[in-house]
Amino acid sequence: MSASVGNFSLWLSLCFAIFQFLISRKKNNRSVLKFNKIAVNGLLLCVLVSFFSLMYSHVISDFSVVNVFQNSHTTKPLLYKISGVWGNHEGSMLLWILVLTIFNYFIYKLYNQKNFTFISKSLEIQAIITIGFLLFTIFTSNPFERMIPAQVNGLGFNPLLQDPALAIHPPLLYIGYVGFSAAFSFSIAAMSINTEEKISWYSYIKPFVLTAWTFLSAGIAFGSIWAYYELGWGGWWFWDPVENASFMPWLLGTALVHSLIAVEKKKSLQSWVLLLSILAFLLSVIGTFLVRSGILTSVHTFALDPARGIYILVFITLLGGYSLILFGIKSKNFLNKHYFSFFSREGSILVNNVLMITVCASVFLGTIYPLLVEAFSNNKISVGEPYFNSTTIPIMIPAILVMGIGPILSWNRGDATKIFGKSFPSILLTTVISIIFFCVYRPYNMLGLVGIILAFWIISNILLTLVPQLILKNKKFIQDNIPKYSNGMIIAHLGIGLLILGITGSSIWQKEKITRMKVNDKTEIHNYNIIFKEINKITGQNYLALQGNFWVYNKKKNIIAELKPENRFYPVANNSTTEVSIHTNLLRDLYIVLGEGDINEGWVVRIYYNPLVIWIWIGAFMIFLGGLFSIKSNLKFIKRLTL
Amino acid sequence: MKKQLLIFPSIVFFFILLVFFYLLIIDRDPTELPSVLIEKKAPRFEAESLLDDKKFISTEEFANKTVIVNFFATWCKPCREEHPYIKRLSNTKGIKIIGINYKDNPQRTIKWLKELGNPYSNIAIDSNGQIGIDWGVYGLPETFVVNAEGIIKYRHVGPITKKVYNNFYSKVIANRE
Repeated sequence: MSASVGNFSLWLSLCFAIFQFLISRKKNNRSVLKFNKIAVNGLLLCVLVSFFSLMYSHVISDFSVVNVFQNSHTTKPLLYKISGVWGNHEGSMLLWILVLTIFNYFIYKLYNQKNFTFISKSLEIQAIITIGFLLFTIFTSNPFERMIPAQVNGLGFNPLLQDPALAIHPPLLYIGYVGFSAAFSFSIAAMSINTEEKISWYSYIKPFVLTAWTFLSAGIAFGSIWAYYELGWGGWWFWDPVENASFMPWLLGTALVHSLIAVEKKKSLQSWVLLLSILAFLLSVIGTFLVRSGILTSVHTFALDPARGIYILVFITLLGGYSLILFGIKSKNFLNKHYFSFFSREGSILVNNVLMITVCASVFLGTIYPLLVEAFSNNKISVGEPYFNSTTIPIMIPAILVMGIGPILSWNRGDATKIFGKSFPSILLTTVISIIFFCVYRPYNMLGLVGIILAFWIISNILLTLVPQLILKNKKFIQDNIPKYSNGMIIAHLGIGLLILGITGSSIWQKEKITRMKVNDKTEIHNYNIIFKEINKITGQNYLALQGNFWVYNKKKNIIAELKPENRFYPVANNSTTEVSIHTNLLRDLYIVLGEGDINEGWVVRIYYNPLVIWIWIGAFMIFLGGLFSIKSNLKFIKRLTL
Repeated sequence: MKKQLLIFPSIVFFFILLVFFYLLIIDRDPTELPSVLIEKKAPRFEAESLLDDKKFISTEEFANKTVIVNFFATWCKPCREEHPYIKRLSNTKGIKIIGINYKDNPQRTIKWLKELGNPYSNIAIDSNGQIGIDWGVYGLPETFVVNAEGIIKYRHVGPITKKVYNNFYSKVIANRE
């Protein structure tokens, strides 16, 4: 029943989307406003109904629906029945459409007397995107497809997906990807409408880009957390094509967020922002294509179906062809002769933009290089971590140096000699902290040292911008003489500093030990002694598990933790997973994985000593928080626009 | 000059799309792994035979006839899945199928074959996985087509299922004498 309702309202939403497209092209103000209200609200409502009917089918385990049958089981816990809605290809497309229509609704809300043509054009583009994805979902991946007769129970699910971090990872990512669709539509609209109409299109793009970027950051972070806790490989980033597919729009989003500031302040970089807005969304869709078409193999690959691939590719061709050719023709109207100094705030933004694009391009090249090679030579090659590390890290280093100094530069004028004076305190602070760090830890590793210095460089620059506001009591003096920084920037940049600290620590000084252990065996890793005390059988809600009990002692022979990694077997899915057990503090994680084995031979145990991992999560959280602050302050601005 | 550059993004874009289209349209399996052994002589080996007391000598087995070499084990679930298709292949005239029992227990294998049927004309026991290493086996099951001259013509990684059977069969027929 609910599936029929869902299917019907999915078709209905297609009608509303087509209606929105046709109406938005009309020139008559009043009727457009009236009918678009119906179209936008109807679309949102119908997609919501569809989405929740699918969720209902999953929750009540309606196995007459193919999607539920293939991806669920009665023994699955409720939370994962709900998140199971987007844990598969068809359902995740529905979630994608839902987020798209929510953004569509917010764009509609921006209508006022002055921006009629601009918003209408944006809604028209948004409708095209929505129609494209609705057609794709209905015809190639309909989540409401039925099967007769209905089955008694489902096929199960992938136990790796049974994890809270993964339950919220896709929705966050989709807010990111789809948020860029708004920027895409706005920039098409900006190029299509008459340039005589002075509309500050960049101010419309900014809150959407900030939202997309902020949630994309959080989405990527949750994906990494999941990989770290669930996969049991001791790492949190693997340069998998799908990780890259989320990282590339993030890089462009980062560039976009910053260049939008320059556009707002100085009206420079306008055509650059238009291009970035187009590319950020195109890359999001190309990412989807790479994952869903099965053209690349990846741990995330959902379904190998060339028909779907062809469909998305045709869609990308139309979308990208139209927008990029439009850009080629129209963007010259947005070029200006407003050149600026290298040593100014906008100069630093431009430098960072270029570096971000370069990183993005090299990640893109690495991701599709195996495909290019195969197309031209029929050989198969694999591009992995060494390529990505050796190309991205050297570009990131100058980017981070510039990032530290950028905020303290002033707009417009630049004076290279003054910069040194301004940054001298932070250079001093960075040196002092780095030396202290070096004396305590003695990290004899060049790259590690560079990472630590960069992290402290960002952190000390940010801390020093806070100092004047904290010491000086004279409010008037502060207002006149001290540059004002937004809370969002301060928090997010501090987050990046901590993130770099965590990334450096955990990737450079990680220690790994793989050994076979029987009960009562001992082993040691980095000043810790670990004893395998016992192993027990336990029964979970839908799995059986072997749970090892490891006692961890420090050098003083005090017990500091009892770690209980599990090796789980899910009978329904006929699949085993390892549940990692981790002891975390601010300096390091101890990470134990219980592998294959038996009572006579012992078990394969993998132990990792991962320094500073927690700072990655803290850093990512601060980036998210900083993003939220920025969204908040930009929403105020957009409210003023709509008055 | 600068204005002409603005069209550059669309050119790059269309080029990349062309590659994607090409790869989608051609008949291609992204999980397929090419082997450096293709068009080379099959590696020689000697091993215990599972079916009789004689030694298994590869040069004696790979002569005058197209041979399908199938690496399998009883512990490998996909091997059980592909077994009916291996049996179907064994009905093809003019070929024979050699099994390589990879890191397995012989008693269990004999029981397994009694239960499911034996399509193999001979089976070599690869108890320590050395044959697998010589043949560059990536994961079980894995199947090679060796022509009558003892040249490896084709390699398939993973089970021969309904989906890939016809493709595999055509490769076998193409290399039959």
